[in-house]
Amino acid sequence: MKKFIALMLCTVLCVSSLASCRRNESSNDPNTLKVAVLESAYGSEMWEKICDEFEKLNGGMTVELTAEKNLEDVIGAQMKGGDYPDVVHLATGREAALTETLIKDEALTDLTEVFEMTIPGEDTKVSDKLIPGFTDTLATNPYKDKKTYLAPMFYSPCGLFYDADLLEDNGWKVPESWDEMWELGDEAKKKGIYLFTYPTAGYFDAFIYALLAESGGIDFYNDVMNYKEAVWDTPEATRVLNIIKRLADYTEPTTVANSTGDNYLKNQQLVLDGKAIFMPNGTWVVGEMEDAPRREGFRWGFTALPAIEEDRYSFTFFEQCWIPKEAKNKTAAKEFIAFLYSDKAAEIFASYGAVQPISDITDSLDGDNKLFYSVYEDGAKAVMGGFAATEAVAGVSIYDTLFESINSIMTGDKTVDTWKNEIIAASDKLRDNLK
Amino acid sequence: MKKPRAFIFFCIAPALLLFLVFMVYPTISVFVMSLFKWGGYSTSRAFVGIDNFKALLSDTRFIGSFKNTVILLVLVTAFTLVAALWCANTLTRENIKAKGLFRVIFYIPNILSAVVIAAIFSAIYDPSSGLANSFLSLMGISPVMWLGNRDIVIFSIAIAMIWQATGYYMVMYMSSMAAIPESLYEASDIEGASRSSKFFKITLPLIWTNLRTTLTFFIISSINISFLLVRAMTGGGPDGASEVFLSYMYDQAYTNSSYGYGMAIGVVIFVFSFTLSAIVNLITKREPVEL
Repeated sequence: MKKFIALMLCTVLCVSSLASCRRNESSNDPNTLKVAVLESAYGSEMWEKICDEFEKLNGGMTVELTAEKNLEDVIGAQMKGGDYPDVVHLATGREAALTETLIKDEALTDLTEVFEMTIPGEDTKVSDKLIPGFTDTLATNPYKDKKTYLAPMFYSPCGLFYDADLLEDNGWKVPESWDEMWELGDEAKKKGIYLFTYPTAGYFDAFIYALLAESGGIDFYNDVMNYKEAVWDTPEATRVLNIIKRLADYTEPTTVANSTGDNYLKNQQLVLDGKAIFMPNGTWVVGEMEDAPRREGFRWGFTALPAIEEDRYSFTFFEQCWIPKEAKNKTAAKEFIAFLYSDKAAEIFASYGAVQPISDITDSLDGDNKLFYSVYEDGAKAVMGGFAATEAVAGVSIYDTLFESINSIMTGDKTVDTWKNEIIAASDKLRDNLK
Repeated sequence: MKKPRAFIFFCIAPALLLFLVFMVYPTISVFVMSLFKWGGYSTSRAFVGIDNFKALLSDTRFIGSFKNTVILLVLVTAFTLVAALWCANTLTRENIKAKGLFRVIFYIPNILSAVVIAAIFSAIYDPSSGLANSFLSLMGISPVMWLGNRDIVIFSIAIAMIWQATGYYMVMYMSSMAAIPESLYEASDIEGASRSSKFFKITLPLIWTNLRTTLTFFIISSINISFLLVRAMTGGGPDGASEVFLSYMYDQAYTNSSYGYGMAIGVVIFVFSFTLSAIVNLITKREPVEL
């Protein structure tokens, strides 16, 4: 009898082990829409409200929302098992690079028709509401086929953040050119204040994109983004690299040590403490440092990069929404994305500080957001997009080569020439693998 | 005779099945995936043969991560081994008050998670207010950028790993040392043996089997713990200077969308750690001392 029980238990264990390995097949129910979103600084509550509104508008439709801070870990594992969400809100530029991987694998659905759709519950087309230019960038149209695969969502101007009160207290004005910037750096150094710091080297992406546009114009910027041959061997590119090199002399000395791992907040704190003046960042920094102690009288200031010649630029970072090619419910997914541009959805998003690239939306902003989003009204030009999609090239990353190397430039471990040669080598390899 | 065999088979079947599903199958999968060019998420994958392995040979960042892993393996093993043996021997053989308290204190780092250890050492290494630089300033030495200097960042991580591991190995060695009969030491006392003679001629030979086993643990745990500490403390930076095997594998498999290449790095780690363990096992082989 004992043997029989033992055998039965063994059999149950074997069967349950096998059962747990069952492939998780995705639901094919046309009335269920699976939405996966990154729970960013805006929180997940706004997405719950959006899903409720969409369900109200589409009677019988059920939206299954997954909102996670580590979204890649959650949906990544499901996707490997063949269970794909229908709509994903996850921007490029994240460490796990899930969005970039799907772009490289051409695993996204063409969304071009979404922008010609009438917004559910309204009689306006999506494209009529969008601010022009947002769907003409490499961040939305990663291939050369002129089709849009990623819908632009919340945008944020990037530039230099500073303590406006610190500048006023010292009688300094915000530099409008790099010459004025260096002068301010020398002045500040006399008072023991450093001109510059940065959270991590990765924050130089928006900084360098804007600097490239300042140095050679938008066409030059696009050439760089498309890995045009010899583009890094031009005076315009060299000028950008030299500015970064010169910034090293004005950068707070503990910056590199704190720019690795999870210590980057200490660098942001330098600005709040009045130990460094400028840092490259995005509008999210205000929320991120909300509870941090700060210098008495501290007031956020924001400016586009100082001009190299005449034009000043501010890079516009925006998050993206997309549909995986393997999604089961693409029709409803497209409807959902179109709905995200509705007045109702925009109102919900804006109430949580998430600003969409919709015409006139900045009129409804107030406080710090009003200041940040008015940068383009104050004369700065916008630059958008990012590097063109390529096949994944083993061991080659333009982000590591171009941005991470800045830590070595700051410490003097790498010369500008070495840096430039490394960028050229990476750019050459990636050009051969352009999509 | 047949019945007991069937019974044994059914009894080991669940464990065998789990072993096959969760150990053997994933390991084979890693080897298979290393031969493909694949992003990891989509259904499209292309067979590239040994191209991923060829690319590794000319990848300077991989070579850098290999070098860092070897530095950590050598430093952490050497220093932890010596420190753990010394602590274990002192606490076992010497007449020290509050032995139990010391044992607990030394063991505490081992029960902390790698993230907590990373946070503790990030605070110690803080360039402006950290313990390490405050200590140096007392001696009139200018501040050191423990995590910001390419030349010393890997040693800063090694110190954290040694601090974390010493207590664990100390307890392992203490358990072996406690099993050595006191009569051997009494006899050596009569012979007039010094402390060092007793350690090298009695203690070390009698804990040799245990020590050999821990050498394999050192290899496996150094590779694993270094990944966790590097992720939390430096993210592989500055500019890849503290990249180790597993952090570079993660970077390539996910951030650089080269899952197949990442798996090729996984294969190298597997072969490297297996081979190294085999070599260490071979060169430390001694006839066991029997009492």
